[in-house]
Amino acid sequence: MSYEVRVEPTGDLIQVDEGQTILDAALRQGVWLPFACGHGTCATCKVQVLEGDVDVGAASPFALMDMERDEGKVLACCAIPESDLVIEADIDVDADFQGYPVQDFLATVTEIRTLSPRIKGIYFQLNQAMDFQAGQYVNLQLPGITGTRAFSIANPPSDNQKLELHVSLVPEGAGTTWLHEHLQVGDVLPISGPYGQFFVRKSDPQDVIFIAGGSGLSSPQSMILDLLQAGDTRQIYLFQGARHLAELYQREFLQALADQYPNFHYIPALNEPLEEDHWEGFKGFVHEAAQDYFAHQFSGHKAYLCGPPVMIDAAITALMQGRLFERDIHMERFVTAADGAQTGTRSALFKRI
Amino acid sequence: MAAKKLNIKDKYRLLTRDLDWEFSYQDRKQAFPFEEFEGIKITDWSQWEDPFRLTMDAYWKYQAEKERKLYAIFDAFAQNNGQLNISDPRYVNALKIFLTGVSPLEYQAFQGFAHTGRQFSGVGARVACQMQAIDELRHVQTQIHAMSHYNKFFDGLQDWSHMHDRVWYLSVPKSFFNDARAAGPFEFMVAIGFSFEYVLTNLLFVPFMSGAAYNGDMATVTFGFSAQSDEARHMTLGLEVIKFLLEQHEDNIPIVQKWIDKWFWRGTRLLTIVAMMMDYMLPNKVMSWKEAWEVYFEEAGGALFKDLARYGIRMPKYADLIEQEKEHISHQAWWTFYTHGHAAGFHTWIPTDEELDWLSEKYPHTFDQYYRPRWELAKAMEAKGERFYTKALPQLCTTCQIPMLFTEMDDPTQIAYRESLYQGERYHFCSDGCKDIFDEEPEKYIHSWLPVHQIFQGQCGGPEVEDILRDYYRMNVGADNLDMKGSPDEARWKLWKGVA
Repeated sequence: MSYEVRVEPTGDLIQVDEGQTILDAALRQGVWLPFACGHGTCATCKVQVLEGDVDVGAASPFALMDMERDEGKVLACCAIPESDLVIEADIDVDADFQGYPVQDFLATVTEIRTLSPRIKGIYFQLNQAMDFQAGQYVNLQLPGITGTRAFSIANPPSDNQKLELHVSLVPEGAGTTWLHEHLQVGDVLPISGPYGQFFVRKSDPQDVIFIAGGSGLSSPQSMILDLLQAGDTRQIYLFQGARHLAELYQREFLQALADQYPNFHYIPALNEPLEEDHWEGFKGFVHEAAQDYFAHQFSGHKAYLCGPPVMIDAAITALMQGRLFERDIHMERFVTAADGAQTGTRSALFKRI
Repeated sequence: MAAKKLNIKDKYRLLTRDLDWEFSYQDRKQAFPFEEFEGIKITDWSQWEDPFRLTMDAYWKYQAEKERKLYAIFDAFAQNNGQLNISDPRYVNALKIFLTGVSPLEYQAFQGFAHTGRQFSGVGARVACQMQAIDELRHVQTQIHAMSHYNKFFDGLQDWSHMHDRVWYLSVPKSFFNDARAAGPFEFMVAIGFSFEYVLTNLLFVPFMSGAAYNGDMATVTFGFSAQSDEARHMTLGLEVIKFLLEQHEDNIPIVQKWIDKWFWRGTRLLTIVAMMMDYMLPNKVMSWKEAWEVYFEEAGGALFKDLARYGIRMPKYADLIEQEKEHISHQAWWTFYTHGHAAGFHTWIPTDEELDWLSEKYPHTFDQYYRPRWELAKAMEAKGERFYTKALPQLCTTCQIPMLFTEMDDPTQIAYRESLYQGERYHFCSDGCKDIFDEEPEKYIHSWLPVHQIFQGQCGGPEVEDILRDYYRMNVGADNLDMKGSPDEARWKLWKGVA
């Protein structure tokens, strides 16, 4: 038994298990809520319940006042839902967030293309159009596999009857293994979407830097196509990292795009190029390519990062040491079975990083 | 989608944005004269993100309800003779240190935040400091009230404010805060708002409040809960300050690093007294100082400094040395107080055999080798009726004002001595950390009011130590000081409990 909790003002949905606290469920599902002590004494995680019933749990009487209890306030770190809920938290809703509703779709596989030795491009036709923002993701339900699998949408929203996903084969990953080995053209999968807070902040006029690694090209591809199709004139830089040439997928496509649009700049980087690659581009990690290109000075940009946790981590450090900070860095981490559980104590210095 | 609701941040901004003054006929720079002299560069105050969003109206409502609940529990504690439910009368000596050493710091924090808030031209930082100032005033008041009940039944709590200003070991916490308050506004915020309230606060509050809980002191525990609901706000302010300074200008990074180095060192020196309390003064132990340091600094602080590294901030200087010191400082400090127990405003004692075993277990690398033999000697002397009190007054470190009791970490039998020559005078220090701080700003520290120097200069009455204790410190000599054994505190406890 679990309850669905909608978090306003962003509209994020979380599933809270029986006996689980709202904060625990939110953090585990990648929805950030303000918090500090985690055990009901500091009140940092106070939220307003708008609809539904909640057990306030072990909230300290000094952290959650009687008058607040009467008003329906709870501490997310102690509160346990007793029904589906709508809560309002002290979180910022982005002015550029369109808030398209999440819906269920049936997606028919139209094509499966090998993009690199590890990555397949899977193309679907949807049973109805899906409104989404470039950068958002969908959840796939796979036969015989518990839970859903999240994949970023690689096609632009202008093409919203279709779905292009880039699926990297994860060692030991049940979902990606099934997609790579068993999925056939013509198969129909239930999907839901769109999800996520990863999208271009178009209202911010600064030039944009995309840094992508692994199969993390999907969101940036959608976001860049969306910007270029709209005639956006800001400078757009895409840094794409791969080990060697065979894994640098979509290269010809992106290079052609760069030739077509003078404000789009494509900078691929290989950290272990093979001899037969005859690589003359940047040798090193993708964040190093960005440091090299911008001479370690990033301020005045918006940065969007998409890829595995180690790449994101290195890119954040590179950007911050180049004077670009949390408010201008947006990211989508691809955490997979291969990354293991997040361990170690987290400091409260950053909200989203 | 329906019209978007305003989030709390926007509501707060709309509610407060016009609170700042326009300076129509005065130069704004002259209105905030301290904002630039430390070298900190602020390019845009509008980038300040309010770390907590609380209107004054809501603030008063919250605080009023907290007070009502807190005082209801104080009343219940007093009416039920709560002092009889504590684990052991030795515990009250931790409260004596807290009331004379820590509670006055809350008052200094109030003064410091009120002053500092005035110096910021950014309205967000100004309001946040104002609220913290009022919180700190509430904390000192509630601490006094929480402990006033004990003053009716135990010695040593009667004149804490006077003692804070004069007693030799209390100059350690007093001068710590004086140093911060005498600094510029941004250094004060890094010193108190960040280093103390964020990085080190758990090492001060958690041990005292858990210590109270483990030893049956409901009044102090309840104060702790009441204060902790404010501390979260203080911690977020400390974090916002550090992020704001580091993001405003890259020239701020080396200045902030220097302050972090200084205040982290000063803070850990100050916490020596907490280390001693945890390992020696709590009859029911919470955890050892070493364990607390590992959990609250090495793990939690490690995660913080890992994140700060993204800004180019490194671990505080001498953090590696402190990692070694966690094995030693509590033992060195309690031994110093034990041997100066005739001049302390609280009681000292030899740990029981059970406690010595606990210390051996918690400090397997150091206790049996360096410290247990001293206690065995003290026990033998006490058994012969020769309880040891030193005749000498200790030499003090010019920076932290702690007696020179710390040893070299590569030789725990050798006291560490450092010195600097400045304008023909020689100044003494307990450590490289304290010497560095002096060398950076010698003009500040040559003014230190060092209690032992003052005594020798005849500024504190005398001539005998007992005269100073009685007349200058206002201790009840023979009741407040000396060993727990044979003290009036002990005698009264036995009487209440019907023990022979």
